[in-house]
Amino acid sequence: MELSRRTLIAGGFAAMLGTTVGCSSSMDTGSTKKNAGGNIAMWCWPGGLGKTVLDDTIAHFPDQHIKYSEVGGDFKQKLLTTLNGGTAIPDITGIKGEDIASMLPQANRFVDLKSIGADSILGDYLEWKVKQATTLDGKVLGIPIDIGPTALFYREDVFTAGGLPGDPAKVAGQLKTWDDFLAAGVELKMSNPKAFIVADATDLYGTIVNQGTARYIDKDNKFIGDQDHIRKAWDTAVKAVTLKVDGKTLGGSPDWNAGLDQGTVPTVTGAAWVALDIKAACKTSVGKWRVAPTPSGPANFGGSFLAITKNAADPAAALEVIKYMLSADNEAKAFADAQIFPATPAAYDKPQLKAADPFFGGQVPIEVFGPAAKSIPIAYEAPLDSAIAVPFTDGLKLVQAGKKSSDAAWSEAVAKAKQIGKRQGVQ
Amino acid sequence: MTLTATAPAKAPRRTTKPGRRRSVLSFWRFYLALSPFYLIFLVFGLYPVASTILLAFQKWDGLGPRKMVGLQNFGFLIEDSTFWLSLWNTVILFVMSTVPTLVIAMTLAVMLHSAVRFKGIYRIAYFIPNITSLVAAAIFFAAVFSTNFGLINAVLRSLGLPTEDWLRQPWGIKIAISTMIVWQWAGYNTIIYLAGLQAIPTEQYEAAKVDGAGPFRTFFLITLPQLRPVVLFTVIMSTIGGLQTFTEPQVMVGNNGGTGQSGMTVVMYFYNQAFFNNDYGYAGAIALSIFMLVLLFTAINWKLLGGRGRQ
Repeated sequence: MELSRRTLIAGGFAAMLGTTVGCSSSMDTGSTKKNAGGNIAMWCWPGGLGKTVLDDTIAHFPDQHIKYSEVGGDFKQKLLTTLNGGTAIPDITGIKGEDIASMLPQANRFVDLKSIGADSILGDYLEWKVKQATTLDGKVLGIPIDIGPTALFYREDVFTAGGLPGDPAKVAGQLKTWDDFLAAGVELKMSNPKAFIVADATDLYGTIVNQGTARYIDKDNKFIGDQDHIRKAWDTAVKAVTLKVDGKTLGGSPDWNAGLDQGTVPTVTGAAWVALDIKAACKTSVGKWRVAPTPSGPANFGGSFLAITKNAADPAAALEVIKYMLSADNEAKAFADAQIFPATPAAYDKPQLKAADPFFGGQVPIEVFGPAAKSIPIAYEAPLDSAIAVPFTDGLKLVQAGKKSSDAAWSEAVAKAKQIGKRQGVQ
Repeated sequence: MTLTATAPAKAPRRTTKPGRRRSVLSFWRFYLALSPFYLIFLVFGLYPVASTILLAFQKWDGLGPRKMVGLQNFGFLIEDSTFWLSLWNTVILFVMSTVPTLVIAMTLAVMLHSAVRFKGIYRIAYFIPNITSLVAAAIFFAAVFSTNFGLINAVLRSLGLPTEDWLRQPWGIKIAISTMIVWQWAGYNTIIYLAGLQAIPTEQYEAAKVDGAGPFRTFFLITLPQLRPVVLFTVIMSTIGGLQTFTEPQVMVGNNGGTGQSGMTVVMYFYNQAFFNNDYGYAGAIALSIFMLVLLFTAINWKLLGGRGRQ
């Protein structure tokens, strides 16, 4: 057989064409190609599911031959690539909370869980969380694994030394709103000039937006980022800057880590899982931290889902696995295992969550997080939401750095946000 | 070929075949031996490139059907102030990092060339930053430049100078990023210059010495002109690398480029559009613009540094 240059080139082009055609055809038919039956392939990221629960679930369904793959790195990207590739698509996959909004337009790639009888269990999960995985036309794509209700973590020793209350109940009573919180910050700074009550005004802005019932784009794909609810969050963040109670310390940075332990970052407003970061950063301040409700009400950061792809051989069997795995009992176990905060209110009464935490001076954190989880506001999150938020946080950073006035930065942020929206057909 | 050698009787008939065709066919073994590279290049090089160019004219969210939109992505690109900002940042960062890198590298190379002892140890020491994990180094540099507990501010404080919020100021971000690039690439270029220096014949230096040239005259009249091709190589490699800066700002100031998006480079903007905003078509258009930018800068370098040598 002779391989000439011409046949080589022709062959190469044929191969290339083949791939292109292969790609585009799999895009259309991929959703109908079923996986082989008798096996359930499951994907999640490291630490996404509790290990004991996972092992127990695999043992509980011996006939399903659950094959679990821990997919590290950029999980969403790997999932998208695999879905496009058309082969080796998992039956059950995790979807991260920050990615769920961008997955909703791809509802045809996933099984509508309502169509295979998930109705009976949806009521066990927090309503607002299920809503995050529900399309505008009512399809439910995922069952919640966990949630991220926020609270105010604070240093009891720094608060009392600065003339503020130290007891969580009293803190809750005094710091009802962000205005109270900023006023307390001014008071604290008078006696302790190194302690800034707001770690980072930009983070504060994000929290306030998350506390709202509307975001940047509404259900009719209209831009609402220039309206009062966003401007109020902006103004509160700017107020933290002008009152000079903003520590300008980015969460997760070396300064933040050091500040937590040294008392220069005396509060953190964050989701339940932020406790792990605080614990990792603190060596000398163990037992001096407390948890109080978030001023102006709870918000949610993160929390993921398990979904069933259209390629699943037996969606009903896959749903049974999910049902078992994410039952209230097992979500409580996952919390004990890896601080995965349950999305089922019934789990909050289980002993695993009722435990007192010596890091928080023997306080029982669920007493704050439990009520917070149940009253988180529901806001429609457009697929483009996180992209449109960028100009606003950037604008705030410029105000923080003293490079721009609040009004100038605001109008620039609104213009930029509209520009990004235009690209995706937002009105 | 072996056939013509062992059977001379058939040779005349063979020569009647058109020469070009014969030579192509009879070299099939060589083509076969070369083919792995070309096949891999086709699949992992040419196809993605072609696909990206196609993508630049489409709208695609990563999963749904692709839609041809013509030049729409480029229209958005021209109006997009963040894109122009990222382009400007990239060029500024490139100048801020490449010029010091090459000057330092040249100085080090000349010093190393004349050093007698511990040459090997110095070479290894200068090269190590280049093979250090980029992410680890970026985390380290972010710590060095951090406001309250960073090394730079500690030194400033001990000298009684005012400290700076390095990673919170637009210029501070650029200084931090370019410092890291200089740290990482100076040693690599030193080694290349050193190799170039060692190739210059010693007779030229001896002749210069006899003519009474001092060390500076010798450097500018002999060393630099002789090194011109090596300098061209390092400048082009630095251009290609520098215009694709991504990891350093991403780790140091986050995906949005920090205050005033001062650390937002074009590659980072491209990455954000594709993998955060799921706007793959727009990202394709940005990628194409990076390609044009690298091409333009390489052409400028070539004209400035390479062109004169031939005249």
